[in-house]
Amino acid sequence: MRFDKRVAATLVVLFVSFGSSGQISEKKHLVYRQKYIMGTVFEIAAYGESSEQTLNAIDKAFQEIVRVDDVMSNYKPENELSTLNRSAQYHRVKVPQDLYRVIEQAIQFSKMSEGKFDITVAPLVNLWKSALSGDALPSPAQLHEAQTCIGYEKIELTPPDYIMFHSRCMQLDLGAIGKGYAVDRAGEVLASVQIQDAFINAGGSTILAMGSPPGQAAWLVHLRDPSHTVDPYIMLKDESISTSEQTAPSLLGSESAGHIIDPSIGRPLETHFAVTVVAPSGMMSDGFSTTLLLLGPTQGKALVNHTSNVSAIWLSPKAQVETAMNGPKILFGGKL
Amino acid sequence: MSKETSRATGAAFAKTLLLLLIIPASAWSSVFVRWSISELPPTSSLGVSDVVFLWKQGLSPVLAAARKQGYRVYIEVPIREAAAAAEQADKTGCSGIVLDLSESETTTLESDARKLRSAYSHLRFLILNPNGKQPDMRGSLIIKRDSVLEVSSPTAQPWIDTNLALIKVEQRSRHVQVPLYTFSWVDEGQQRTRTADDYSLAIAEAGAFRSDLVLPLEEHLQRGLTLNDAEAWALWKQVRSILRFSRDASTDRLEPAANVAVVVDHLDAGDEVLNLLSRHNIPFQVFMGSDLKGEKLQGFDILIVFARPDEETADRINSLATRGKTVVVVDAHGKSPWQSSQPVQVNEHTTSYIVGNGKVLELSEPVTDPETFAQDVRRLLGKRNALLSLWNGLTTIAVPYKDRREKLTTLELVNYAVEPVRVQVQLKGSFTSIRYESAEHGCCESLVPIKHDEFTEFVIPELRVAGRVHLGSE
Repeated sequence: MRFDKRVAATLVVLFVSFGSSGQISEKKHLVYRQKYIMGTVFEIAAYGESSEQTLNAIDKAFQEIVRVDDVMSNYKPENELSTLNRSAQYHRVKVPQDLYRVIEQAIQFSKMSEGKFDITVAPLVNLWKSALSGDALPSPAQLHEAQTCIGYEKIELTPPDYIMFHSRCMQLDLGAIGKGYAVDRAGEVLASVQIQDAFINAGGSTILAMGSPPGQAAWLVHLRDPSHTVDPYIMLKDESISTSEQTAPSLLGSESAGHIIDPSIGRPLETHFAVTVVAPSGMMSDGFSTTLLLLGPTQGKALVNHTSNVSAIWLSPKAQVETAMNGPKILFGGKL
Repeated sequence: MSKETSRATGAAFAKTLLLLLIIPASAWSSVFVRWSISELPPTSSLGVSDVVFLWKQGLSPVLAAARKQGYRVYIEVPIREAAAAAEQADKTGCSGIVLDLSESETTTLESDARKLRSAYSHLRFLILNPNGKQPDMRGSLIIKRDSVLEVSSPTAQPWIDTNLALIKVEQRSRHVQVPLYTFSWVDEGQQRTRTADDYSLAIAEAGAFRSDLVLPLEEHLQRGLTLNDAEAWALWKQVRSILRFSRDASTDRLEPAANVAVVVDHLDAGDEVLNLLSRHNIPFQVFMGSDLKGEKLQGFDILIVFARPDEETADRINSLATRGKTVVVVDAHGKSPWQSSQPVQVNEHTTSYIVGNGKVLELSEPVTDPETFAQDVRRLLGKRNALLSLWNGLTTIAVPYKDRREKLTTLELVNYAVEPVRVQVQLKGSFTSIRYESAEHGCCESLVPIKHDEFTEFVIPELRVAGRVHLGSE
């Protein structure tokens, strides 16, 4: 589990060649804007009937992402997530529909992964986050104490919108799924104002492609390749991709306090893989990418093979490649 | 930096003159506007007195007209044409020459500049580093020419293009001059008009980092300002507030505070390690290998040595470590005095030696991942030696300044997102008064300091482009 994907930024290269600029529909205006939200740069490129209309649509989409962040950030002490984290151990807490939906989906990922994906991991995350910023590594006693707090099965959902925790020290961290939900919501806002062809990029870690560029069948997206030799890519249309990767190992230290924590051992996950997942929605790709990184290729491939419309690739710096394709086909431009 | 005031008049003149008399040279940064058309708006409206024209034949009438309007006029020229430009500048009463530094000319630049200064003693000769970047918070999606889209994320998000590393390098390479740099606007095929925010960020950055800037002004903006276009002036009005703010920087002689020393053999402003140290708000100062032989490095907690140590400097490193410093020797090979201590293999490429009260870490290869290296340096500093820490400051770069008594007195902040953020700051030291100044709200709002151990924390409620914190202690 991670506290956010900021450090594990996807190195994604997307290149859309129109052949020549003359092939672009003259009616479509391309507008691009970026905004700093959720600790990263969100970018939207959208085609619309006029620049003004498209710009307004993008502004509305950004407002929606800001709204989602206001609800789900655990850096805002007065927001709904923080209130839930403070109060749900004592009584049922009514939460906004957004929050309920995301937590419900996160629990599904926890069940699918038998607890490897777990949004209750915040107490462990906080310990390791301190280590990342220069504190001593957590002691075994601290880790043991934090581990007793966590466990997705201790979250009780009462439809339509009540949540209670059966742990005195549990806290939720939606960093592994929140950006995915935010790009989905932004996409819905764009669609509601007749923007059909757009590309939403949440800091490189999650991307939602709506429609396609004028004159093209899909958006061509080059995926994260730590080996710089394999060059995986995909044609993306009305789908999302997300990438997860552990923090790079320390150059001067002996032990890395990585940002993705394996709740089963209470420590940062040790893996050299970067995982990219293609799925129908941002929330799905976002949740799956962390889940599959934690599960590793063997268990991960089995999970993908039982899930429709999802494909995944594990890629190491030494060009070890593992794939599972039960959805869009991942192609390769380099050496395999 | 000397300031001519001969064209100013009235009360403004008197005030300016007074300031010039009491303020030490290099106390503030200056913005030079690069101008390319033949007419200029009045200097009082532009709010900038220094204009720079690129050297070309037949420039004299334009220079003369600009001078007549009260501008201090500079000619920007490559060193090989500097003598001819100086001749013309001399005849037309220009204030100085801006020598455009290019890589091939760096070896003779200083001596050439010295000769020119001696031949034209009343002209200022400033050395310009043209390799600055457009300051920016960059996403990974870039719109390219011909509507081709490209996404590429060079490192962790958000990516900040900052000139702080370049300025640090310039500070070491040129002692006689405040760093002066310029940059080109990045187009990436977007064919986008520069906004007030773009200009403001560039000015704020130079001001906060105490550097001089040659600001490239788009030609259509120059025309708009000259022709009294309302839209152009609305934009420039916003820019002027940042110009004022940057000019109002502390008038004390302040020095950037740093507790990390980076020692190099070659000054390279493009070095990614320096860029990443800047991005991670690790206060550092750049030194040359020869500086190890002096006493300059005594006040630093961590030394990062990229320079290849000779026998004398290796002894010096050993001595600094003995006295409690942490020294990281990068791409280390061969025998060194600290190797007589018991080695501890930290990881595949790093060996640690405890030396007296400190330690030496030998990294056996060059830095392969500057982002991780910068994070490692922050970890090595630990909480106890962290001069500066920011929360919610991923888009913010801050530089602390100290006075002659080595006390922190000012913190300058630049927010590359150019949107209001609430930033939590922790500074080493005990401060009783925290006053926050910004371009938008002026000076000053009192902030509540929270002291714990050896540190003071406070929250900046709204940082948009640039902010300045005045620190007071009993």
